[in-house]
Amino acid sequence: MTAWLVRRVAAAIAIVFLVVTLTFILMDLAPGKPLLGPPERPVDPQAEAVLEAQFGLNGSLGVRYVSYVRQLARGNLGESFGLRRPVADALAEAIPNTLLLAGAALLVDFLIGLGLGVYQALRVHRLPDVVLGNVTLFLYSVPTFWLGLILLLVFGEWLGWFPVAGMSDPILCPNVSSFYCLMDRLWHLALPALTLGFVGAAGTARFQRAAMLEVAAQDYIRTARAKGASERRVVLRHQLRNALLSFITLFGLAFPFLLTGAVLIETIFAWPGMGRLATDAILRRDFPVVNAAVLLASTLVVAGNLLADVLLAVADPRLRVRGSETV
Amino acid sequence: MLRRLAFVLASLAVAGCQRSGGCTGEYCGTLVLAAVGEPDILLPPSTQEAVSRDIDEQLFLKLADIGVSTNTIGDEDFQPLLAERWEWDGPLTLVFHLDARAKWQDGQAVTASDVAFTFDAYTDSMVASPYRPALRRISSVKARDPQTAVFRFRERYPEMFYDAVYHMRILPAHLLRGVPRDQWKTAPFGRQPVGDGPYRFVAWKAGQTIELVADSTFFLGRPGIRRLIWRFTPDIVVATTQLVADQADGRDQLVTPDNIARAAAAPQLTIYPYRGATYGYLGFNLAANGDSTHPHPIFAEREVRRALTMAVDRASLLKSVFGDFAKVPPGPVSQLWWIWDPELHQLPYDTAQAKRLLSARGWRDSDHDGIRDRAGQPLAFHVLVPATSTIRKTYARLLQEQFRLVGVQMDIDEVDNSVVAERAAAGKFDAIILAWTTDPTPTSGVPQVWTQAGIGRSNYLRYANPAFDALVDRASAAATRDQARAAWRRAIETVSADAPAIFLFATDNVAAFHKRVTDVRIRPDSWAALLRTWRIPPDRLIDRDRVER
Repeated sequence: MTAWLVRRVAAAIAIVFLVVTLTFILMDLAPGKPLLGPPERPVDPQAEAVLEAQFGLNGSLGVRYVSYVRQLARGNLGESFGLRRPVADALAEAIPNTLLLAGAALLVDFLIGLGLGVYQALRVHRLPDVVLGNVTLFLYSVPTFWLGLILLLVFGEWLGWFPVAGMSDPILCPNVSSFYCLMDRLWHLALPALTLGFVGAAGTARFQRAAMLEVAAQDYIRTARAKGASERRVVLRHQLRNALLSFITLFGLAFPFLLTGAVLIETIFAWPGMGRLATDAILRRDFPVVNAAVLLASTLVVAGNLLADVLLAVADPRLRVRGSETV
Repeated sequence: MLRRLAFVLASLAVAGCQRSGGCTGEYCGTLVLAAVGEPDILLPPSTQEAVSRDIDEQLFLKLADIGVSTNTIGDEDFQPLLAERWEWDGPLTLVFHLDARAKWQDGQAVTASDVAFTFDAYTDSMVASPYRPALRRISSVKARDPQTAVFRFRERYPEMFYDAVYHMRILPAHLLRGVPRDQWKTAPFGRQPVGDGPYRFVAWKAGQTIELVADSTFFLGRPGIRRLIWRFTPDIVVATTQLVADQADGRDQLVTPDNIARAAAAPQLTIYPYRGATYGYLGFNLAANGDSTHPHPIFAEREVRRALTMAVDRASLLKSVFGDFAKVPPGPVSQLWWIWDPELHQLPYDTAQAKRLLSARGWRDSDHDGIRDRAGQPLAFHVLVPATSTIRKTYARLLQEQFRLVGVQMDIDEVDNSVVAERAAAGKFDAIILAWTTDPTPTSGVPQVWTQAGIGRSNYLRYANPAFDALVDRASAAATRDQARAAWRRAIETVSADAPAIFLFATDNVAAFHKRVTDVRIRPDSWAALLRTWRIPPDRLIDRDRVER
């Protein structure tokens, strides 16, 4: 198990390094210069040259890459051209906001998705299953940004039940300093988290329903019933527990979904997270921020999958043994 | 209802969370402004972002500022700010006497040394200020004594005073002298500035807000509104939604007719139209795409450009895109400029004449495919449009259709703005839709973009007409407005007749602010310049105005 884990971690680090290297090269090859400004507000050529030198943009790709890797090894992510501040500072402010949004969305996703999946599986082919099946299919088909815009329009602008943008009331609660402000933060979180969570929950529900039905046909479920176990015990102890194995895999895959979904949702709801930071940086060709965002996102995705693998190994001893023997 | 319920419950749960009483008299009020984008830095010489400028306007004073007339010639229409008065000491020397009451917000007096330091910083190549070129005709700024700053110019010209005061915001030398100039681009001061303006900096929450609070001791009078909060949003639609949903109090530009209609329908808002500073056009590259040494195979011919201009019904396009909130410009002119004159002679909309001109130049549809051709080459070109501009993308599609009717094929290349900038600078385009936001004076914008002096810099179209250049020089050097106006008229008519571009729109700006805000005066070149004089009367205060923190 330990040797397997070490190898998985080493592979994960290599993948992240490869992604960061590719991003660095691709951003350099992409058209558009970072300090040129919009065409109607061009930077004076002399000023552009000075700024390029100050931001370390005047060397060859190889020289800049080596310098970047050296700085990265020291934990220095560089300075943002667009934000005019250290990238690490900008990320340190944005990451907690994205984690809060993604965490809340994950909660909505798995609580609703798991509940619906189990509920449908227990009423398979009956009216609630059919209705919920269509509802989840509809939600699963809906682009996240579209659902976000609809929720924003209906519950934010028309009904006025929720704030339309931002993560707090700038006057009463610039910081979470009281229970009132905690409520305010949750109130601002509701629409973006529900948007991300609903779409995810639709997929989770369909996945979980299928897993429950697959397990229901297994011999050990029939055996449990034959031994006289109660239906509640059969469902919770035998059926759900075994169906959760696939759920753990889904948990690992949810990270990339939430991160990519958050890019659009953070823009629509003016949520000051990683997604918005990265989008703005790409449009501005703000390489240090883009590289750092990719580094972080790829680390999260790889770590999420690694975590899922480890959880699977813990939950299913067969996988652990097989893993030890074969890896 | 849910919102109310949630907050009532929360309020009941925690005693003392709700503030009772609060600010109730004059000088109360909080204005939440929905901003598109976020400042990069609050250090005036290092930025030209619009939001940064609006906030800097409240933090850092100029020596004097332009009047509501936006007259840039001479000094009679300028208003004193840091300088209580000024006088000319010979033709090339301007002497400013500082107001002795002016203080930095850390208590230090504002002195002439700050003025000299500011000029030195703005013109230092290591600071790489975008305003440096505008100060090239000032040779030096010196402190004669703590209250007297002396500007010396290299030459005499009508806008000397404008150049001396408009581009620079005076900086605190005692706080910035120790910061190496090559580090100004990321100086910590720029995220926690100390100014001398009507408002003090309070906090900057990245990606969310910047908060300022009124300086009640401000020497030119206490600001009417106690607190200003800029709330950052990623785009104009989200900003307008905040405004309409009563979660923000104001927005300086609504841009599209949709947003204007939404704001106009919101009962809590008042709409304020004012002169816009932007004009837009479809520009033709007069040099070959990517090769400035050769003429463009289509656009190098003046008559072809004139034909294309006559093929476009600019008035109906304008109506489709902007509704009533823009005008067809007579040339490269924004409504902000005092030379704006819609009566100037322009090429008419005349598709029959356009077709005749194209045929006369040999562009005929010889293969009957609907597209004119000459010597086997179709009359086809690509137009470069920034993908982020809904207005320009819409214009591109409408133009495409109008050109098709006269047998011209236009393909649209929608790309990132940074790619547009790179390709424009390198001359790698056939045609391009640009929208310039101008200074208050045509004497900087027109030469940069339309004369031969701008080729290789902002004259991306490589338009060159010595007669036009001479008229611009004459207009810029004219001692009186009447003399300048006559020269500008002829210059604009000349460039319009040459048709290096089809001049499509000159915007009206439309702002929206909450009805409780009174005394709203907007100076067209900078909507926030007079913000300190706005107020919210005590009987109109709402909950968010009274909050004490």
